[in-house]
Order: sequence, then structure tokens, then C-alpha cells
Amino acid sequence: MSKKAIIYVNQFFGQLGGEDTAGVGPSIHEGLIGPAMAYNAQLKDCDVTHTIICGDNYMGSNPEDAVAQILGFLENLEFDIFIAGPAFNAGRYGVACGTICKAVKDRFGVPVITSMNQENPGMEMFRKDIIIMKGGNIASKMRKDLAAVVKVANKMLAGEQVGPAAEEGYFPTGRRHQVFIEEDATTRFMRMLHARIAGEEFVSELIVPKLDRVPIAAPVKDLKQAKVALLTTGGIVPVDNPDRIQSASATRWGKYDITGMERLESGVFKTIHAGFDPAAANADPNVIMPIDVLRAMEKEGVFGSLHQYFYSTVGTGTTEKEASRMAKEILPLLQADNVDACIMVST
Amino acid sequence: MKLEIGNFYVNEIAFGDELSFKDGVLTINKEEALAMVKEDDRITEAELYIVKPGDEVRLCPVKEAIEPRVRLDGKGLFPGYTSPLRQSGNGVLHALKNCSVLVVGRHWGGFQDGLIDMSGPGQKHTYFGGLNNIVLVADTNEEFERYEQQKKNDALRRAGHKLAEFIGQCVKELTPEDTDVYETTPITKRSAEVNALPALVAVLQPQSQMEALGYNDLVYGWDMNKYLPTLMSPQEILDGALVSGSFMPCSSKWSTYDFQNYPILRALMDEDGKDYNFLGVIMANLNVAMDQKERAIQFIVQTATELGADFALVTEEGYGNPDADYVGAIAALETAGIKVVGVANECTGRDGASQPLVTLDEKIHAMVSTGNVSELIELPPMKVVLGELEALGRDGNSGGWEGDEVLGPSVRPDGSIIMEDNGLFCGDMTVGWSHKTMKDF
Amino acid sequence: MVKEIERAGIPIVHMCNIVPVSKTVGANRIVPTISIPYPLGDPATSREDQWKLRYHRVRVALEALATDVEEQTVFPV
Repeated sequence: MSKKAIIYVNQFFGQLGGEDTAGVGPSIHEGLIGPAMAYNAQLKDCDVTHTIICGDNYMGSNPEDAVAQILGFLENLEFDIFIAGPAFNAGRYGVACGTICKAVKDRFGVPVITSMNQENPGMEMFRKDIIIMKGGNIASKMRKDLAAVVKVANKMLAGEQVGPAAEEGYFPTGRRHQVFIEEDATTRFMRMLHARIAGEEFVSELIVPKLDRVPIAAPVKDLKQAKVALLTTGGIVPVDNPDRIQSASATRWGKYDITGMERLESGVFKTIHAGFDPAAANADPNVIMPIDVLRAMEKEGVFGSLHQYFYSTVGTGTTEKEASRMAKEILPLLQADNVDACIMVST
Repeated sequence: MKLEIGNFYVNEIAFGDELSFKDGVLTINKEEALAMVKEDDRITEAELYIVKPGDEVRLCPVKEAIEPRVRLDGKGLFPGYTSPLRQSGNGVLHALKNCSVLVVGRHWGGFQDGLIDMSGPGQKHTYFGGLNNIVLVADTNEEFERYEQQKKNDALRRAGHKLAEFIGQCVKELTPEDTDVYETTPITKRSAEVNALPALVAVLQPQSQMEALGYNDLVYGWDMNKYLPTLMSPQEILDGALVSGSFMPCSSKWSTYDFQNYPILRALMDEDGKDYNFLGVIMANLNVAMDQKERAIQFIVQTATELGADFALVTEEGYGNPDADYVGAIAALETAGIKVVGVANECTGRDGASQPLVTLDEKIHAMVSTGNVSELIELPPMKVVLGELEALGRDGNSGGWEGDEVLGPSVRPDGSIIMEDNGLFCGDMTVGWSHKTMKDF
Repeated sequence: MVKEIERAGIPIVHMCNIVPVSKTVGANRIVPTISIPYPLGDPATSREDQWKLRYHRVRVALEALATDVEEQTVFPV
């Protein structure tokens, strides 16, 4: 049985008209409109069953409503892939293709794909969420861009692994994975060395990415009034590890009440971190979580108060995504408790 | 310095009456070999197996790999470790090629141990899946660490080294099929032509981050945690001066076999004197505390500068906080005007979306990437398991787990497994064997 | 983690040993600790010395939270 595809296009490629119809809301049509015909002809063992059309301005100004309507259209349909565009360098169209592809992928878990030009603002917005083929800047590149989408879409339909970004022609999604290649590391090393010596061009296998920076938070105005919370990635937990935090590649965190404690006692708390020798921290957990000196400084009035809970997880092998998720789970609790500042101790 | 290694290519290994090598067949008297192993009274149980590429065999937990060799002067292979100190790097060795002694725990593994598949999709993940191996499967009475996640594996590792020396004896009197000669002239005695070439050093950072002794790599038997970078000859490394340790997730490790055969060092020696003048190896280490890292980096840069190096290889046996030593050394060398090509694996997470090295610096210009330690790998069951597969999930292996909400246990009831690359025995092969690279998806 | 909390406008000081890692992950206020396994107290020293060291570094951290900084800053200890 052949598989089924649904295509998303804007008002222009949906043959409703130009800029004057950019405000029309979403509609779904059985059969093939605009690029859907070429997709239908080129997709392998797959029929395009429907074309969805939405005006770029409508999607741009009412994205939630437009997405809800389209997901509603799709709710009772069977389809194996969802394709949007190509959007070339049309900014609103590109953002629309990205928006709807991401929503469809999140809701239905089917493969989605689109195409746009590198200058299209939709590319940077969505390249980490969906596969966006590198496309031309103007609609005259339709044949080429559509063929590129089809090539990868056919792999998705066949259940094959989609290869690396540079080889398949899509924008990198921010993921790096290992792949097996013909040449061994010695050969590659020697070639890179010779190129450096000769002053010739070479391509490093690791290009250092631009680092994500956050604005520096304003300092606490009055330390003597501040409520300070203590956090750690050093895996300090009650000895029975009640939250079953993993000792490496952690996905869990814990919140532990220290009311009335002057220090963290050995035998009551320990570290479950697998990345270092735990002896010192098990003998005296305060070497990672300095509750003892914080209590002393709290009494001396150096700062306002120590927050009633400390938060703990394990930092080793933990992905940035997991770390950021855990932080986002902890954050509202800190905010609800009016925490003014944090100390994070890492091992 | 002149080191000659005579090669004897092993096509087949068999058990028989007498330890011998003939027409590509290595024959081992099993009882005799086991009796030698059991001379260490810590060994409570030992058995020998032979595995070759294509066998439906999985080995786990693997602790060490050693190439069987013999020195024609009768001295020990691993000075300061299994034999008295001697100078490595000179003389004649005979080596059994395409062949290694593997040491496998009968029951117990740990953070640092690894897995090898001899066939199927897992075979390509280790170098040893492609060799003829003599497998020592043994247990010990080292009760103090039986249930520890970090194990010294001292008795087992030493047993492997002694077994490799024992087996190597059989080619002492024979004529090798061919011979590799590694010869260097002292740095200041080289010809004007060679001295005019761009100068190169190799900076190696072996694993030495366990503060307790007995877990780290050894240099002439010395624990490299208590060590500062030193200039060495590449021949010393090929001739047993370095012995692998028992710390660090396994895929990032360099086994003793890797040191004995270090492919990148051999390539650098092969082409020495053509476009560059290879000054030697700055044997460094990996440290825990920041001041230790900085001190070691200072020694590396000062040595390289004083030697007049223009280019450098930098490579680390590890990932995670060792990246601070690795990236720190690269950045400091580049700052000193020494251009670096680095070799390391990456840790981009199971989803591939994490930062590749825990510290990054824009001074990293040229790097060979050999794998992602946290790549998820699923492997089908194997007919035979040597050791105890449960060790992968049970004993805190860096690439295995007991249970996971989404992925389930590492070791499934049918014998199939799901694990991180971390747990594959010396799988990322930063010494130069890796056929893996990292690509953006 | 540090970044997400700072992104929400809560000042956070990162106490860690491997400062280059902290700089790479994007912490803006950094106070060095003495090691990875025991950031705030060397078990080879006396209890009193450990307490003094810990008190000092945590105090520097607290003061860092009340200090306005223009760029990533490693506070001297």
C-alpha cells in the first residue's frame, strides 16, 4: 500500500492569488494544488492526498489559531509525512512553514520537512526543530529545491536514517553524532598536520561553536536582606537517595529541607556523583555544600537568610538539554519562595 | 635511539601441547599458561579462551589488552611494572601481530571496564574485535573493591601483562617475517637539513586523574598522578614504558596494546625528516585541580618552546574535565605560536545537542574528532558471552545502566544490549585507529 | 543550570574548580574552589583550616552576588 503525504503551501503557491490574499485563513483541499503535483509525481510509493493552504499574513498574525485549525484538519487523516514549501527567501512563508512543520511533528510525531534559503529568518528560528533543506533564494529554483526535499523525504518514508547535514543538504540542527568513515584518524591527522605545515586549507572536524551567553543579572541590592539558595551539581543527597538521582547522565534532581540543620552531617548526607572519589564529601558533605559556614554567616548577619531547601543533581555526563530542563523546573520554585540569589557549587 | 620490532603475524591461535609459533599458528599450552597466571595467589579462578574475528562472542567486562612480545636481551617488557627498571626504546623486540591478550573479569566489572564484540554490528566499535585474541577470564580475592564502582583491577591487569610476556617467549629464537625499525638521532645532532625543517612535538595526555594511587596510567611503573610533563622518545612508548590504567570511561581509554602500537606516533616517525623534524614526545598527564592542570600546561608549553617546536600534536586519554587540560594545552601552545592539530573524542550527549568539549576555546583551529562518548548503541544478542554480561548494567559501567524509564535496562533478558559508546573497550581510538568522526546533523 | 537561573534575572555565583569550564558554560560570577572532589575543604588539612578556607570562599561568593559586573568575572580568593 502506498504511503500518504500532505503538503502545506501559502496563498501564492496555493493559487489563491498574490499579496491581496495573504490574509486568508487555512483551508484544506483533497488532491493536488501547486507544488503538490510535483511532490506527488516524485515521492516514491507515496501519494499526496491533501493540500493545505494558508495566507502568510494570517499565519503571521494569528499563528495559534492557524496552527489549531490546521492540526484540526489533520486530526482524522492518515499521513506518513508532512511537507511544507519550498519557501525560498520569502520570510513570512518560511516562518509559516517552520511553525506548521514543528507543530505537526510535535502533535503527530510524523516526519516533517521543508526548504528555505539561508537568508530566510525561518531558518534560524526552526533549524533545531525540523529538517530544513538548503534552498534557493527565488521561486525559479522550485524544481531544484523540490527535488532536494523529495530526496530526503523519500528516505524518511522508507524509514532510512537521514545522513549528516552537509551530505544531505539541510541546515545543521545543532546535533553532532559519530559516523563511521573510510579513513582512519591517523590518516586524517597526518593530512591536517601537513596542511598546517604547508599553510594550506584544511577543514577541522570540530568547528568551535559560538557560545550562548546570557545577560548578567543585576546584583542583590542589600546582601543583609537577601535570601540565598544553595544548589549543587555535586550529587549531595540524603543517604538513601530518595529521588533516585543517577550517578552520571542525570535526568533527576532533588530538593532537600535543611531547616534546623547547622551543618550537613556525614551518614545523613552523601554524594552519589560517579565522576570523582567520593571519600572526602562522604566524610564531610559540607566540603561540597557549605551549610556550616553559611549558617555561621547567617547568624553574623553577613547575609539575610539561607533558603530552607537546597537543590541537588549530578553534573557528569548530563546533557545541556537535561540540565536546562532541570533548571527550568527548579526556577519557579526559587521564584515562588522569593529567593534573591543563588550559589551553585560544582565539582 | 634505535628500536627494532620483528613481526610475527598470527593467523590462528590454538591450544596444544607446547607453546609455539609456526606458519602463522600460535599454539598455547593452556595448563602451563594458567599455572603461570595462578602463581599470583590473588587469582582465585582463571580460564583461557581463544576468539577470532567473526566469532559470535561478546566479552565483558574487559579490563586490559596487551600485545604479546619478547625482548631479545631477555629483559622484561614493562619496566618498573612487571620487571625491574631498564631504559625503554632501544634494542630488539619480537612481537606477535594481529593478536592480543585480553583480560576479562569472570564476574565483576566497574566504571572503567569495557565491552568487545567479535562479530556483528558491534565488531567495528573496538579495534580488538578485528584481532585474534587470547582471552584470560579470571576472578580474584580483592574483596576490598569487589563491589566498588572504581576498581584498580590490579591482579587481573598484572596477570594479563605477565601472560603476554609468557606467550611472547615463543618467538624469541625465530626469524620475523618483517621488521620495523624506529631510529632517531638526538635532537642537537641532526643534520643541518633536518634542523631547517619545521619542528614538531607530540603532546600526549594519558589518564592520571585518580588521586588514590593504583588506578592511573604508569610511566616506568610510576603513577602518573604524581608526575609532571617530561620529554620522551616515541620509541620508549612503543617499548613498554607506558602501561594503561584503570580509570576513565572505557571508550576514551588507551590500553597497553594501544601504547605499544600507537599508530599516530608511528606515522609521525615514518614521515619524520621529510616536511618536519619530529623532536619527540612531551609526555604529559591529566589532572584534577585547576592549579595542577595549569602547572602541567606550563611545563608542556615551556618544553615545546625551549625545543623550538613550530607544530604540535595534542591528544588526551579522556573527556569531561580532562578537556580543560586538553583545550588548555592547545590554547596555550597556539598562544606561544605553536600550531596544533588535536585529536580527541567528543561528548555531545545522547541527543547530540550538547557542547562537544566541556571547555572550548576559539584557539582550537584543527582537530580530528574520533567519536561521541554518549552515542547510544544497540547490539543484538551473542551466542557466547565471556565474563558476565550483567556487569554492564550492574557494576556502574560508564556506558551501562541498571534501568532507565525510557530505554529499559542495558542488558535485556534475551542478551541484546543498549549502551553508551562510553562502555566500549578503548572504542574511540584517539591513538589513531578510529574510523569514526563527528558530523553535524 | 547557572545560565537558566541567571536568564531569569536571579544573580547566581558559580563556585567551581575548573574555571575554564565555568567560563565556557557561561557563568558570569565565578569563585574558584580548591578541587573537584572537595571544592571547599581539603581533607588533608585540619578541620579548622577547612572551616577557614570554606568560610573565606563562600564569603567571597556572597559578596560577588552583591557586586555589579560588566563581563564574566572570576573573583580573586
